[in-house]
Amino acid sequence: MPRAIRGVLIECEPAIKSILIHIDSTQLNNDAIIEDLDETHLMVKEQMVKTLQARLDEKLKETYRVEVPLDDSDEDKGM
Amino acid sequence: MSSFGPSSFLLDDYLEKLPGATFRKLYQQPSTAFAIFRRMLPPLAKVYVQALLYSPTPLTTNDIELWTRPEGKGTSNRAIARLRSLHIAQLSQSTRAKKAQDIQLTANFKKSLRLALEGGGSHNSFGVPSTLPTDPKIHIQYLDQWAGRIWQDILYYVVNSVPMKANESGGRHGSGGGGPKRAVRELLKMGGLVREGAGGLVQISEHGFNFLLQEANAQVWTLLLLWLEAADRNKALAKEQGTDITGTAIDNVEMLSFLFMLASLELGRAYDTSALTETRKNMLPALADFGLIYIDRDRPQQYYPTRLATTLTSLSTMRSVSASIDAATKKTPGDAGSLGADSTPTAPADENGGIVVETNYRIYAYTSSPLQIAILKLFCRLHMRFPNMVTARLTRESVQEAIKEGITANQIIDYLVAHAHPQMRRAAAARGTTVIPPTVMDQIRLWQLESQRMQKTPGFQFKDFESVEEYRQLAEYATEIGVLVWKDDRKGTFFVSKVEQIREFLKARKKGN
Repeated sequence: MPRAIRGVLIECEPAIKSILIHIDSTQLNNDAIIEDLDETHLMVKEQMVKTLQARLDEKLKETYRVEVPLDDSDEDKGM
Repeated sequence: MSSFGPSSFLLDDYLEKLPGATFRKLYQQPSTAFAIFRRMLPPLAKVYVQALLYSPTPLTTNDIELWTRPEGKGTSNRAIARLRSLHIAQLSQSTRAKKAQDIQLTANFKKSLRLALEGGGSHNSFGVPSTLPTDPKIHIQYLDQWAGRIWQDILYYVVNSVPMKANESGGRHGSGGGGPKRAVRELLKMGGLVREGAGGLVQISEHGFNFLLQEANAQVWTLLLLWLEAADRNKALAKEQGTDITGTAIDNVEMLSFLFMLASLELGRAYDTSALTETRKNMLPALADFGLIYIDRDRPQQYYPTRLATTLTSLSTMRSVSASIDAATKKTPGDAGSLGADSTPTAPADENGGIVVETNYRIYAYTSSPLQIAILKLFCRLHMRFPNMVTARLTRESVQEAIKEGITANQIIDYLVAHAHPQMRRAAAARGTTVIPPTVMDQIRLWQLESQRMQKTPGFQFKDFESVEEYRQLAEYATEIGVLVWKDDRKGTFFVSKVEQIREFLKARKKGN
C-alpha cells in the first residue's frame, strides 16, 4: 500500500521557493516543509502554512519594492 | 466567538459531510429527492439516474461505460462519484460479470423520485395550498418587493459594517425596516461574515466580501447553511448539558427537507401552515426574517414563498451578482409605490449602477445607492461624491487591501463588467474590445499576483508505491475524477485535493488482485 501524507501543496516561483526553504531552515527549525518536491512545488505542514506565509511577507517587504504608481495629481481637473 | 470554516458555505460541501443515514431520511420526501436531482447533479449523472430509475435490475458499470465515448470516461466517473457521494446510487460487486460492479439507485431515492414524477402518495411533500381566501394585495410583485427589501437590508448590513462606512453618519438610506433582525445579525456574526472589532464596531470579514460578490442564490444558501449549522450546534450544546435530545437528527433532516420543499412551491400562491409539522412551523418566523417566506399579519395560517425561496434549487445562475444587487437596490421602500411594471428595460443608468472605468484607473459610478457605493469602497479609493455620482480610483493599495480580505481579482473585474455603464458596453462593442479597458484588467490581476506569491492547495501526497503499475493506475484514476493537483512520474508520487475516493479505489483494487 502506498502512503498518504496530509499537508498543503505550495506552488510558487523558484526564487520564492528558495526563500521559503531558507526561512524554514533558519527560523522554523525545519519544521514547516515536509518535502521539497520540484522546482516550483513544496509540501508543507498544514498548521505551519500561516507562519510561513507571514515570514515570507516580512522577508519580501525588506527586499521587494514597487514604485508608487500613478499619483492623483491631475485629480482636480475633474472629468 | 468561534466561526465556521468557509468550506461549509456551499451546499455541496454541506451535503457531502452528511452521513448516509441522514440521506436515507432526506430521500423519504419526494420533494427532496426531486430537488437534489434538479440542482445537485451534472447532466450526465441525470442521464444515469433516468436510466436507472425504471430499471428492474441493477446495471453493471460495464453497461454504463458503453454509453460514453472513451474520451468521456473521466466525466462519466465523476458523474458516478457524485451520485455515490450524494447516496443516490450504490455500487456493489456484480454477480454476473467479473471485474464489474452493479450500480443501482438507493431504495428511498428511487421510490421518492418516482413518486415525484408520477404524482400520487399522500406525502404532502410539495406543500398544501391554502383553501382560505387570500388577500388580493399580495401578488408576485408585492412579494418580490418585500423579499428584495429584506435581502437588501441583510446585504447592506454586511457592507455597512465596513469601518470607514461607520463615520458616514451610519445613515441607513432607504431601508425603513431598521436593518435585519437581531437573529439574522447574530447569524452573520457567527458565520464569520462580519466580526466584532474594537469598540463593538462590526466589521466585514473576508468571508463577508466573498459573500457579497456571490450570486443571489448562493448567498441565500450560505445564510441558510449557517442557520442549519447554528441549529446543529445548539442541539449539540443541549446534548452536552444533558437536556432532552431525542429527535436531534430528525430536526436537521426536517429543516433541510423543508427548504427543498419550499423550492418546489409556486410563487404568488398561499400555502397552509396547518399542514406543516411542528418543527417546520417553528422555522417559519426565521424564514420570514430571511425574506424567504411572507406571512400576512392578519392571516397567520397562510404563508407565501417568495422568489428567494422558489429559486433555491434552480441550477441556473441567471441572477448574477449585479442582478441580485439591482433587484435589491431597486426595490427600496421609497419607490415601492412608483414601481408599477418591471422597470429593467427603461431603468436609468443610475439604477443599474452605470460604472465607467477609464484607462487611467479612474472610476465614475452613476449611482446613489449606498449599497453599491459601499461595495465600490471595498476595492477603490473614493474621491468625490455627488448627488447622482461618485468618483473613485483603483489603486494598488486599494486592490491589494481587498485581495488581502479574500476578494479575488476576477471578482473585482466581474463586478465592474456586470455594472458597466451602457456607454462603456457600446464603445467596447464598437471597438471590439473588452468592456473594461484591458490594461486595467491586467493590472488588477498583476496586483493580485504580486501579493499572492504562493498557491496553496490542501490535500494529500501519495508516495511509496509498491510498483510502477500501481502508481500509474492510481494517478490515472485521480486525474479522471479530477482531484490530481501535481505529480512527478519519475519519483512516483502525486498530490490530490481529495482522498476518500482514492482510498476506496485502492481497497477495491486490492480486492480485485
